[in-house]
Amino acid sequence: MRGENRYSRQTMIPQIGEQGQKRLAGSTVAVIGCGGLGAPVLTCLALAGVGKIRLIDHDRVSLTNLNRQFLYEETDCDKEKCKRAADFLRKRNSGIVLETVCERLTEENAGQLLSGADVIVDCVDRVETRRHAGRAARRLSVPLVEGGVHGFYGFVLSVLPGESACLECVTAQEAEERGPVPAVGAVAGVIGSLQAVECMKILLGLSHILYGKMLQYDGVYGEFTEIPVHVRPDCICQR
Amino acid sequence: MIEVRLFATFREGRDKIVYLEPEQAVCPADVLDHLGIPHEEVAICLINGFHSKLSDPVKDQDVLALFPPVGGG
Repeated sequence: MRGENRYSRQTMIPQIGEQGQKRLAGSTVAVIGCGGLGAPVLTCLALAGVGKIRLIDHDRVSLTNLNRQFLYEETDCDKEKCKRAADFLRKRNSGIVLETVCERLTEENAGQLLSGADVIVDCVDRVETRRHAGRAARRLSVPLVEGGVHGFYGFVLSVLPGESACLECVTAQEAEERGPVPAVGAVAGVIGSLQAVECMKILLGLSHILYGKMLQYDGVYGEFTEIPVHVRPDCICQR
Repeated sequence: MIEVRLFATFREGRDKIVYLEPEQAVCPADVLDHLGIPHEEVAICLINGFHSKLSDPVKDQDVLALFPPVGGG
């Protein structure tokens, strides 16, 4: 049809429209982790036309990634994830800017790596890295979308720094996954896609963001549960 | 009654919601003992949506939500 373009099916949505599409095109999103969650997050955001995406991951592709990390092929093993991920995305949308940062996000570099982002999407598998990302988001006053998976289970939580509960508000300090985390690719797809939706809603200035609400997904029962989570007054995010 | 909501792997071999009489548990640690969940496996413990310690008091009508670490990416 005349006037159609690659984003036509989005711009026909009242909550997006031409204005919203321009907003997405003018946005920068930092995605930490190009793994099981990062794959759907990056793909959804790139295809949706988010103008600039920063891919942050220090890791290299391994065979055990391939049950869920659809950005990579068997021949990508031992190659840098963020470079290969960017190659995958560039083939699908050449009209956006992809920045690759092939290093681990640390307490020292978090502020620098995340600066300039309108939204940060946390797709990492280490509690320590999540902590650094969350604290940097707080310092930069940038909304953060958290997600995590374990086997058939997962969660999503959006954080408005200083306003709504962050992961540190609700998590015991010592809590950490032990050893490799079991992961069902389809569940990572569910959670990562939900993270992408949250990210787009924030960029578009829509309401009903999962601020202060942790959305739990249970693939065994096939159910979603929304749990209200409140700011902990003595949390570092409140200082 | 105290409503105990279990999430993720804590549901395996258990009901997803358990109700306890107040006299059965004065704190989340009692609830964990009742359910056979090792204390160190709890990553998130919420009473009515607020972070709580395992030694904090629980009372009638409270909703306790317990989560293991779910952090893989």
